[in-house]
Amino acid sequence: MEDNKQINEEELFSFVEYSPEEAERIGYSDYSYWKSVFQSFLKKKAAVALTVIFFALVIFSFIALAIGKYDYKALVPDSKLAFIKPNGEYWFGTDNLGRDYWCQVWYAAQTSIKLAVLVAFGECFVGITIGCIWGYVRRLDRVFTEIYNVINNIPTIIYMTLIALMIGQSFFIMSVSLIAFGWLTMARNVRNLVIMYRDREYNLASRCLGTSIGRILVKNIFPYLISVVILRLALSIPGTITLESTLSYLGLGLGIDTPSLGILLRNARSYFLDYPYLLIFPAVIVSVITITFYLIGNAFSDAADPRNHV
Amino acid sequence: MAKYTIKRLLQSAVTVLIVVTIVFLLLRLLPTDYYFTEDQLMKFTDQQKHDALEAAGLLDSPGKQLIHFYGRLLHFDLGESRRIQHGVAVTKVIGSKFTVSMRLGMISMAISLVIGVSMGIIQARFKDKIPDYIGTVYTIFVNAVPGLVSYSLVLIFGSRVLGLPSMYSTRKATESSILPIVCLAMTSIAYYALWTRRYMVDEINKDYIKLARVKGMSTKTIMVKHVLRNAFVPLAQYIPASLLLTISGSLLVERFFSVPGMGPLLTDAINRYDTNVVQALVMLYASLGIIGVFLGDILMMIFDPRITLVDKGGTR
Amino acid sequence: MRKSVSKMVAVVAAAALVLSGCGGGSGQSTQGTTAGSQDTQSTTAAGSAPETTAAPVSDTEPIKDMVTYETQNREVETFNILYSQSATDLQVLTNMYEGLLSNDPKGQLVPALAEEWGTEDGGLTWTFKLRQGVKWVDINGNEKADCNAQDFITGLEWILNYHKNSSANTSMPMELIKGASEYYEYTKSLSAEEATTMDNSKFLEMVGIAAPDDYTLVYTCITEKPYFDTVTTYNCLYPAPKALIDELGVEGFIAMNNENMWYNGAYTMTSYIQGNEKIFTKNESYWDKDCSLFDTVTVKMVESTDVAYQLYQSGELDNTILTESNLNTIYNSTSNEFHDQLVEMRPTKYSFQIHFNYDKRNEDGSVDTNWNTAIANTAFRQAWYYGLDLTAWYGRTNSINPLKCENNAYTMQGLITFSDGTEYSKYIEQQLGIKDYDGENMRRIDKDKAAELKAQAMEELSAQGVTFPVGVDYYIAASNQTQLDSALVLQQAFSDSLGDDFVVLNIKTYVSSLVKEVREPRLHSFVINGWGADYGDPQNYLGQEVYGEDNAYYSANYSNANDLTEGEIVDIYKEYSELVAKANAINDDLDARYKAYAEAEVYFIQNALAIPCYYNIQWQLTRVNDYSKINAMYGIQNNKYKNWETSVDAYTTEQYDAIAKAYEEGTAN
Repeated sequence: MEDNKQINEEELFSFVEYSPEEAERIGYSDYSYWKSVFQSFLKKKAAVALTVIFFALVIFSFIALAIGKYDYKALVPDSKLAFIKPNGEYWFGTDNLGRDYWCQVWYAAQTSIKLAVLVAFGECFVGITIGCIWGYVRRLDRVFTEIYNVINNIPTIIYMTLIALMIGQSFFIMSVSLIAFGWLTMARNVRNLVIMYRDREYNLASRCLGTSIGRILVKNIFPYLISVVILRLALSIPGTITLESTLSYLGLGLGIDTPSLGILLRNARSYFLDYPYLLIFPAVIVSVITITFYLIGNAFSDAADPRNHV
Repeated sequence: MAKYTIKRLLQSAVTVLIVVTIVFLLLRLLPTDYYFTEDQLMKFTDQQKHDALEAAGLLDSPGKQLIHFYGRLLHFDLGESRRIQHGVAVTKVIGSKFTVSMRLGMISMAISLVIGVSMGIIQARFKDKIPDYIGTVYTIFVNAVPGLVSYSLVLIFGSRVLGLPSMYSTRKATESSILPIVCLAMTSIAYYALWTRRYMVDEINKDYIKLARVKGMSTKTIMVKHVLRNAFVPLAQYIPASLLLTISGSLLVERFFSVPGMGPLLTDAINRYDTNVVQALVMLYASLGIIGVFLGDILMMIFDPRITLVDKGGTR
Repeated sequence: MRKSVSKMVAVVAAAALVLSGCGGGSGQSTQGTTAGSQDTQSTTAAGSAPETTAAPVSDTEPIKDMVTYETQNREVETFNILYSQSATDLQVLTNMYEGLLSNDPKGQLVPALAEEWGTEDGGLTWTFKLRQGVKWVDINGNEKADCNAQDFITGLEWILNYHKNSSANTSMPMELIKGASEYYEYTKSLSAEEATTMDNSKFLEMVGIAAPDDYTLVYTCITEKPYFDTVTTYNCLYPAPKALIDELGVEGFIAMNNENMWYNGAYTMTSYIQGNEKIFTKNESYWDKDCSLFDTVTVKMVESTDVAYQLYQSGELDNTILTESNLNTIYNSTSNEFHDQLVEMRPTKYSFQIHFNYDKRNEDGSVDTNWNTAIANTAFRQAWYYGLDLTAWYGRTNSINPLKCENNAYTMQGLITFSDGTEYSKYIEQQLGIKDYDGENMRRIDKDKAAELKAQAMEELSAQGVTFPVGVDYYIAASNQTQLDSALVLQQAFSDSLGDDFVVLNIKTYVSSLVKEVREPRLHSFVINGWGADYGDPQNYLGQEVYGEDNAYYSANYSNANDLTEGEIVDIYKEYSELVAKANAINDDLDARYKAYAEAEVYFIQNALAIPCYYNIQWQLTRVNDYSKINAMYGIQNNKYKNWETSVDAYTTEQYDAIAKAYEEGTAN
């Protein structure tokens, strides 16, 4: 805050050569929002470092599978090799069936990250769209509030059981159903903000000048939502991983042919006293993902708040 | 206000009815074989299956069953359990369990409110200093490790190292409640600390606080009289609902420590297709959730007199 | 009264020839009486004290208050024993209720509420002479009423009354007892009001049950059922106190709990906290004054076997089953405190088989001709029988002695014993020429023969247009990791022992119901299923596989053999069914009956219509001598906490081996 102000003050007092483009920019107050966001974000070294770590993790999960000595698809159970502690041949040791744990962990990490990111973005997309309409169109408020109440008051476990029973269990079904019941919180947050900003004077003015609803939502209101949206997004990713592990514990998770970190953690529970490495490796990866997103989310949401820009 | 309350309660009743109806119909979508155990499926003839379903009234059309269900609801009759405790009234099944969950839940909530909110205050007070970092590390750690893992760790550590009972026992209720309460509180402390800190930090940046500071008020007075009070308003909204929903217990914690509470009841009822129990639970949780939000609004109003529900009723 | 008793003894004496012959009586049990002697019935009636296996550890101090466990998904669902059909409930309820007969540790019938019993006409009518002075008590042990023949009538009426028991437990009475089905249909035609308020005159008139006096009970069967007495160990013929039903009302009796029910069994349940704990307390009014009971038995409900193991370690439990990983950890570390306490359990009462599907469909509903043609070929099936090495797969259940799990008979071992003491499944093995146990290879495996048969099958089938490798679809529950792990090991076993050029196992999943999703659309190539006996006769096993019979469970539901119409396979099935029918017709000589069944069973296995697969034998740590427990392969008596030998110090492997050896020698005699 303080820093920004000083810069602005300095700018106020410096002379500028006439440039039509600059004039245009100021005239339409068309400062580049995203550029400012990234600039502020890049100033937070810790967050940047974690982002790098996260992407490194994702990239490494591919490399890890490529350089591993065993191919996930070609794993063969062999009880003689069960529970070998990590060594030169089996970098993460072997599991209860004597299968290489390294490739399982990385394969599962990919699945979990894919699921979490997909669900997070799905929730955002659905949540923002519905939240905007819910907040902006007064007549629909009652309807949406009722829908929200109804869906929100039916325990998730019921949906998940019924879906698992009637449709089945797979990566696709899982992600769709998590999105279908996860957008609620996002939509409600967005709706509350939209209601707050909808009737601000600048929006009234904008409406009087004939700006379309879509443009008001996207250009005038949306920037205020970004910080909230990003925080939700960041919290949703670890949330999905945790939820997935609980659902796996109940047998409602992904199908067994798609191993996820949740499933590995569930299985490791039975062995971890004697073979702690079976728990540690997936747990560390889950923790890294969670912490990264939590900190990136906080940093990015600070950076995304337009009040911190101008 | 009275008119508003009545209107809102009526609305809530409608919502609860819709919720129950939807769940009722969803459950009827399942194939009827799911009402039997594998043991039964193995030894039952088709005729027997048919007879058993017919006796339980499960072969009528969903519409007819629904009308029957509402009819009984008018007499406050939620029906009998089929598999959780055969033939026993659902209210009795729930009645024997909810006190246990509620006791654990209330204690852990009291603990976590005290510790969590103080932690949040300290974090906000020393923002970007060591206490804040410690608090943040705790919050992140608790959120980062799935309950499945952290509860197992508490169980092992508590029973092996501290020698605490790892199984709930009614005869040693106090002693054996310690580990479940620790597990429950662990996560909610993080939750309260996180949001207290968040709201307080937001509040500290507001102009009136800056003014107060300029006026020379002591940090302590500002923090307690202004910041905390205002920061607590959004938090207050959640407290009644969480308090009421302690009744629902925690699935994982109660499973791990064999607590005879409500936590695993819903999943068990679903897994055994005990539809009456599922319906009753859904109705209970939905009502409590909705009442909780309503009480939350009132509590919010008490903390912040500027908020009036009557005018803003439509925006909630 | 006295008169009728002496008359009764005469009846029994006549029947004893049959009974002790079939091993259904208590001829070989305890007290050193010789098998077959006519007075065994009355002498053993005084009670059973199975101390035969006590020798090795009789000097240790027994446990007074037993603490054991159960996993949370196995909680009791009802206290009404007439309603329950699940093993989970019955293993609890068997301690609280007592029926006419019970079993001893060797599986033989012993008297319980009936002191004497028998049949004179080859099993058409059965007379039971009840014990006097048996009481119903409430939770606190206060005597409420006498338990007599009327209670058995009330119990059976309850079960057969459609409006009272919603058809639970009706199958066996309806199959066996005269007029039972008719009475059931009759009550169905009544209104609920009528059916629950009428007296039992109509019932006594229609159904083949009668009580000439309060301590005599006579059942009349539909046809000769030489095994009817074994059915009385089942809860479908248990008594119910009329006074209690009057007190609680029909609804209340259905929903009764441990606090308002009446007990006539060995224990009362003095505390029941669902999902947490049950406490049984010794019933001082229990009829068997000579037996040894615990003062209390506490059953804790735990989250998983892993938690049980932890509680065992901290001394809070007296026994625990070991998971694969715990077992291996203890076994591989000689310094582990439990290393020399590892104890092998006895098999559960299920005999598992690989059941083929002879009319398999594809997922799109079309007929899977490739599989159906292949499986109809005898050499193809026999190649599996002689070639499929399941050792690694057994290791999933029992990693120390995997081969102990090998099953080579269709009928469960220990179900039937010939009058000379030969165990039926051992006889089957002899007939099949199975090698002795050597702990190294599966006993029936014959690699050369398998290779020969494989070549023959491939040649014959290729000519019929079958493409190799034949795809084998095996279904498991989608959420069950243990099943997946086992299936992967099985897949590897197929690949190693039968060869990838011959068959390939495809692991497929169903979401929640094997019946709905797999069995009814006929998608499976085979299922591995265990059958637990309902009564003590081979018919209960072999009758499930006969051709063209709707009640034959496997032919109608799993193998779909009933839908086969042509080919060599039909001839084999018909031949087998004739052999079974022939055996079932023999009612007067039980040895001859069993021999005839054995012939059918051997024919069945040699043609590999289904392949015997495994017994479930796990490992445990325990302070209880399993060989002193009731161990019957049918009925609900097994988990009765009665006459259990225990030791405050856990049993060692050595002690248990000695016990097992003594037990086996005891049975062989």
